[in-house]
Amino acid sequence: MKVISPQGEHIELMTVNVGPSHPATHGTLRILAALDGENIAACVTEIGYLHRGFEKMIEQGTYQQVLPYTDRLNYCSAMMNNIGFCKAVEGMFSVTVPERCIVVRVILSELSRIIDHMVCVCTNLVDLGALTNFWYFFNTREEVYKIWEKLCGARLTNTVTRIGGMYRDVYPDFANDVTEVLKKIESSVTEVRGLIEHNKIFIDRTKDICVVSAADAISWGWTGPCLRASGVDRDLRKDEPYYGYQDYQFDTVIGTSGDTFDRIMVRIYEMIESVSITRQALAKLKPGPINSTDARLSLPSRDQVYHDMEALINSFKLIYEGVRPPPGESYDATEAANGELGYLIVSDGGTNPYRIKVRPPCFTQFAAYADMLEGGMLADVAASLGSINIIAGELDR
Amino acid sequence: MDIASVLAFLSLHFDEIVTVLKPVLIIALLFQVLPLLVLLERRGAAFIQDRQGPQRATFNLQLTSIKGVFTGEGGDGLRMRGFGMLFNIADLVKLLFKQSFVPPFAHKWWYILAPAIPVLAGLLTPAVLPWFAPIVHSVAPGDMRAVSGQIFDTDNGLLVLFAIGSLSVYGVVLGSWSSNSKYSLLGGMRASAMMISYEVSMGLSVLGMILLVGDFSLTRIVDWQAANAWGVFVQPVGFLLFLTSMFAECNRNPFDVAEGESELVAGFHTEYASAKFMLFMTGEYLHVLIASALVATLYLGGFDLVPFSYKLPGGPYDTAFIQAHLGLVGGLMLIVGGAGLLFASHLVTGRKRHYAKLQASDKQSRVKEYGFFAAVFSFLAVILLLGGAACLLLFPAPTPISGAVYEAKPVYSLWVSIITAVIQLHVVLGKTLLFCWLFIWVRWTLPRFRYDQIMALGWKVMLNVALANLLITALVAKLFT
Repeated sequence: MKVISPQGEHIELMTVNVGPSHPATHGTLRILAALDGENIAACVTEIGYLHRGFEKMIEQGTYQQVLPYTDRLNYCSAMMNNIGFCKAVEGMFSVTVPERCIVVRVILSELSRIIDHMVCVCTNLVDLGALTNFWYFFNTREEVYKIWEKLCGARLTNTVTRIGGMYRDVYPDFANDVTEVLKKIESSVTEVRGLIEHNKIFIDRTKDICVVSAADAISWGWTGPCLRASGVDRDLRKDEPYYGYQDYQFDTVIGTSGDTFDRIMVRIYEMIESVSITRQALAKLKPGPINSTDARLSLPSRDQVYHDMEALINSFKLIYEGVRPPPGESYDATEAANGELGYLIVSDGGTNPYRIKVRPPCFTQFAAYADMLEGGMLADVAASLGSINIIAGELDR
Repeated sequence: MDIASVLAFLSLHFDEIVTVLKPVLIIALLFQVLPLLVLLERRGAAFIQDRQGPQRATFNLQLTSIKGVFTGEGGDGLRMRGFGMLFNIADLVKLLFKQSFVPPFAHKWWYILAPAIPVLAGLLTPAVLPWFAPIVHSVAPGDMRAVSGQIFDTDNGLLVLFAIGSLSVYGVVLGSWSSNSKYSLLGGMRASAMMISYEVSMGLSVLGMILLVGDFSLTRIVDWQAANAWGVFVQPVGFLLFLTSMFAECNRNPFDVAEGESELVAGFHTEYASAKFMLFMTGEYLHVLIASALVATLYLGGFDLVPFSYKLPGGPYDTAFIQAHLGLVGGLMLIVGGAGLLFASHLVTGRKRHYAKLQASDKQSRVKEYGFFAAVFSFLAVILLLGGAACLLLFPAPTPISGAVYEAKPVYSLWVSIITAVIQLHVVLGKTLLFCWLFIWVRWTLPRFRYDQIMALGWKVMLNVALANLLITALVAKLFT
């Protein structure tokens, strides 16, 4: 490909399609790069390979039926999508779920955040050629998945919450299992840190690679760990606290330079913070009801259904028609593993959502990707793609 | 024609027989060690990564005659995994019987030729490595002959080795160019640039050793190390540089940018499949093996037993020592082998207990198989240990042939010389496997460099250090000798 540079030089460039069929993009992304040697002179990114019409699909069913679809957004931390959606719908009803439900949701959120960060960091390291870290994290992630299995029977797509509560209360030994798994998480984080934190090759590969300044990150609309890696102190858990996050002692992890190294390290240190939050939440886990008793969104108990006509009708209405949030528009966001996961729900008062717009965190991050790559090298494509944690499920929806 | 005359004939024509047999034996040996290396890589990776490793390729060992012992799930057989050894056969069968596809856009002849070059280079290079000290034997009183431990005995062994070894990059470059694919091309470009940069530091780093020895002949380099000090002690910087260059030469992690599977799909062999892909892989592992053998020869004393042995009681532990104390050395080696097998048996028993506790679905077959292997290993270990003890205690000290002297050293009977050679071969192989393990260890520990960082390391760091090392070595060598 012959091009003329802004200075008027004639340059011969080679175009390379990195993806969609490529080990680093695994069929879901395409990066069309114009190479000058190994340097990327220009590049364009393309998405949409995993577009499933998520937002249109979920208009067809009831609000409860949206839940299994949300699992498929960021499938690395499916529970956080469930929790975010349920919180948004409960917000429309102005219903607060019981304290036990909130604490369980915090524990599940933080464990999900940890495994999401694990997948992100270890796949990034695999793209850097450090394969061993992958197993150190995945072995531990497997232990968390065992808890998921005991909790709800599913591993990847859990659908564990319900509007107004949980699918069911946690199993009796839950707290012990979580305590055990937290220890394993800490040890695996220590192992991986030992392998990479002071590794010259790793630092060379990631320091000052794909730098995004704080101003750029804000103007791109970045959120979450990637924004914090650029040095912006923004965490919904601190800034717009929900679920009692203001009562937990934890630090917001902030990077300095916004390069790939910072993005990886912010995630690793956030895991440590999440372990601490989970420990505090476990201490708060007191017996009590798990589901809201609000008749508009929670099923009445079987006892009531069998003995009370109103409860029977309520049960029928909730199951056959679904919940009916009051008409209006509501935006609610949670701090998901990847950043701000927002649901804009428009309700016309009916049982089906009129419109649900999802604000996925990695959409804005991927928008900046082409700019990040230009001027870099071909090897940086793989090295930095993992660090912005593109999950095609929520990117394309 | 009786046995004595046959033996006499063989002894008379020993030179010719050995000359013909050496290449066959060494290449056969390499192809024996190669699957072991692949297995070592797979199990080593699994060990480092906390996972179970290769275990899916199995076969059922039918032992119906001792039904009481081997019964249970999966019929009466014993389900054998062989620690993943069967994967070598499975891979071979799979790759050989796959369709030998040539992409329509490839340059057909070059595309087919390319994978052969690394294998060819890998098979030629061991020809100049000394696998054992020259076998000296007496044909007739006063007629001593020495059979070299190299296949191709030349004074310029090292140069020949580098010359042939460097050819293997042509396979990579040719393969990448003829594939006519952009990813392949980028991989080939990286490989050729890297090979050129690291050849320079490799040559310069080894020059320090050459300066000290004053000879390019690998046998004499080994002799010098036995008489003075192993290369790793006199040339530690050169050793590190050479080892690093060898990683680059072999295209192994952290220098595997030519393959760079996360960036370039599979680099230079993106378009290769079936037997041609297998040849590339064979070439790579042959390269690792040769590189390890070369490092062991140049810097770890080759077939020399112990460093600084001339300072130890009874030393030096050279060829003459081994021949004079054949029972002692051979017995000790057998005991070391036996102890290794006992340790293997201990490890296997540990895994067996581990599996017995687990609730895995194939627990039964695992426990049975591991029990079987523990028994086999223990049995072999006992044989080796007993054999070693017998050698130590009962083997009569060989007496030199009276009046036969070769290069001021006594000459023993042919059998003593051959056994000595076998012992030395094992010493070289042991050291080689040590470095092979280092290659595997590093591969599964470190991330990959970026292409420009490799260039910077090669030209800006290693070249300068190699030059400084050479200069200092030259000064020291001049001043103190």
